Amino acid sequence: MAFLEIKNLFVDLKNFKLKNINLKIDKKDYVTIIGPTGSGKSILLETIAGFYKPTKGKILIEQLDISNLPPEKRCISIVYQDFALFPNMNVYENIAYGLKKKEKNSRIIKEEVEKIAEDVGITNLLNRIPNTLSGGEKQRVAIARALVTKPKILLMDEPFSALDVRTKDSLRDLIENIVKKYETTVIHVTHDLDDVFRLANKTIIMKDGEIVQNGYVNEVFSKPLNDFVANFVGANVLKGEIIGKKDGYTLIKIGRFVIRSIDNANVGSKVKVYIRPEEIILSNDLEDSIVCSVEKIKRFNNILWIKLSNDCFTLNAIVTPNITEKRISIGNKIFIKFDPSKVRILEGNGC
Amino acid sequence: MQITFRNFCIFITLLFATIFFGLIISLFIIPSFTAILNSLQAKEMMYSLELSLITSAVSTIAVLTLAIPIGYALSRFSFFGKNFLKSILDLPIAFPELVLGLCLLVFFGQTFVGKVLNVLGIKIVFTKLGIIVAQVFTALPYSTRILCSTFESINPRIELVSRSLGYTEFETFRNITLPIAKEGILATTIISFARCMGAFGAVLVLAGGSYMYTETLPITIYLSLSYGNMDMAITSGIVLVIISFAAIYMFEKVDRGRTWHF
Ligand SMILES: Nc1ncnc2c1ncn2[C@@H]1O[C@H](COP(=O)(O)OP(=O)(O)OP(=O)(O)O)[C@@H](O)[C@H]1O
Ligand SMILES: [Mg+2]
Repeated sequence: MAFLEIKNLFVDLKNFKLKNINLKIDKKDYVTIIGPTGSGKSILLETIAGFYKPTKGKILIEQLDISNLPPEKRCISIVYQDFALFPNMNVYENIAYGLKKKEKNSRIIKEEVEKIAEDVGITNLLNRIPNTLSGGEKQRVAIARALVTKPKILLMDEPFSALDVRTKDSLRDLIENIVKKYETTVIHVTHDLDDVFRLANKTIIMKDGEIVQNGYVNEVFSKPLNDFVANFVGANVLKGEIIGKKDGYTLIKIGRFVIRSIDNANVGSKVKVYIRPEEIILSNDLEDSIVCSVEKIKRFNNILWIKLSNDCFTLNAIVTPNITEKRISIGNKIFIKFDPSKVRILEGNGC
Repeated sequence: MQITFRNFCIFITLLFATIFFGLIISLFIIPSFTAILNSLQAKEMMYSLELSLITSAVSTIAVLTLAIPIGYALSRFSFFGKNFLKSILDLPIAFPELVLGLCLLVFFGQTFVGKVLNVLGIKIVFTKLGIIVAQVFTALPYSTRILCSTFESINPRIELVSRSLGYTEFETFRNITLPIAKEGILATTIISFARCMGAFGAVLVLAGGSYMYTETLPITIYLSLSYGNMDMAITSGIVLVIISFAAIYMFEKVDRGRTWHF
């Protein structure tokens, strides 16, 4: 039984519509929603919270239809990018606010607030006024305030995007730990694929008010349903033609190169082929390899992002520099190979 | 000094401020001090000062009671005909006060609604209640505007968070929105009170401006001028100016760094 289930949900906001949203989320799932700006991620989140009324469809939590309940009856907390702390209350009162609604015993409230304050590392800030806090501190308060009521679902709308890289990283760790500790089910809207890889077990990809794909993270990233998803998750998409089968592999002709895939497709059909940048293998020998020249290099913490091209296509590749650094400099020719199990043929009318 | 556009603008500002200040000062220097004191102690002055203060206080409360929900509705909710309603509510700002008074007079005197109210014992035309009604209509548009921009400046997500934490729409308004809006509400109170104290045209037409009955301070100026009591008129003027200055001073203190969108 799914914990949260959304069935045929439609939301109509005149100039924007959510169309036929179907979704199943299990308890303790960590789900990210990704998609281009304006695709309706925030609206979907706020519809789950109860701020928008669906025109059609149902939202069920533990089989119970909540789509007609007001937000205050749903037991769903929300954390926003801009923190949305109550400026008229200090940190303690901010966190205690949701508890006070149900719990009248001020000793219990105090205990609970202090416990969560310790969990998110803000014990020393309890008497401060929100606008004297840094961004990272504010978001810790918002997370504590959202979790202290033990919500059924925690919704987060780009919770880290107003923070600098280091703060973002420490908050990511915090979320990872605290969500495990409180056994919370999370839906997290993000633009940062790092959030998807580090935090989520499932992910949803949205476009123009619709869900284009949803499932386990590795599944969505290794087997995108279409071009849009492939591009969106940062993969290389190449055009080719199936020219035959050999040793259980499908042979795909891309320009003057032939590559192998374990996916099946009809011989003669024109297809799109999908390869993740981190699956591209640098090789030393010419045998079975494709020659490319290095066009661009960007260095991140411990990886290199390189843009490769030859007369047939361009590719993005992500490599770890320690093995390969010597060969990689702009203008150099290098040899690459693909692992046939990582070369995916896009389903449907790929062309 | 070079005649630049910048200096020209500053010069006009200074010139006008000086003239304006001179105008106000002249009110204080023309009459003798004893004349002012005598006028202040006159029965008529006592009456109209007291009536002005009481009616303005009541009107201000009424204005706030109306303007808070109106301002909130206009800032938060989208509903059919919202922009049309907004302009209707703004209309009295551009309306001559006398015409506003005339409309009120016809509405409460001649129409069905007015007659029903009259039968029910609610008499508005040429009564003290009429003063309050006229003041409320004069002050309301300004108040809704200030409150609307106050509420607009509050991040609606703060309210959504409060709702998600278990509080109803009204509880959220009471616990979160009102406390955050308190400066704006205070500013509105001051401005409405000042507007009500100074309301003249609509009050004169609807409440009649009769001596020692519906006589507020602005009416005292008008009546005193008409029977040639210059000292009395000037004294009323001074009292009104002092009240306005006090209001503006308090408004500026409350306003500290905030901007209102008029
Ligand atoms: N209350 C509303 N009424 C009508 N349209 C709205 C409303 N809120 C947002 N929209 C529109 O709906 C579309 C989707 O908005 P939404 O905020 O869900 O996008 P998003 O996917 O969260 O984008 P981003 O990544 O930029 O946050 C946008 O075009 C937006 O302008
Ligand atoms: Mg958004």
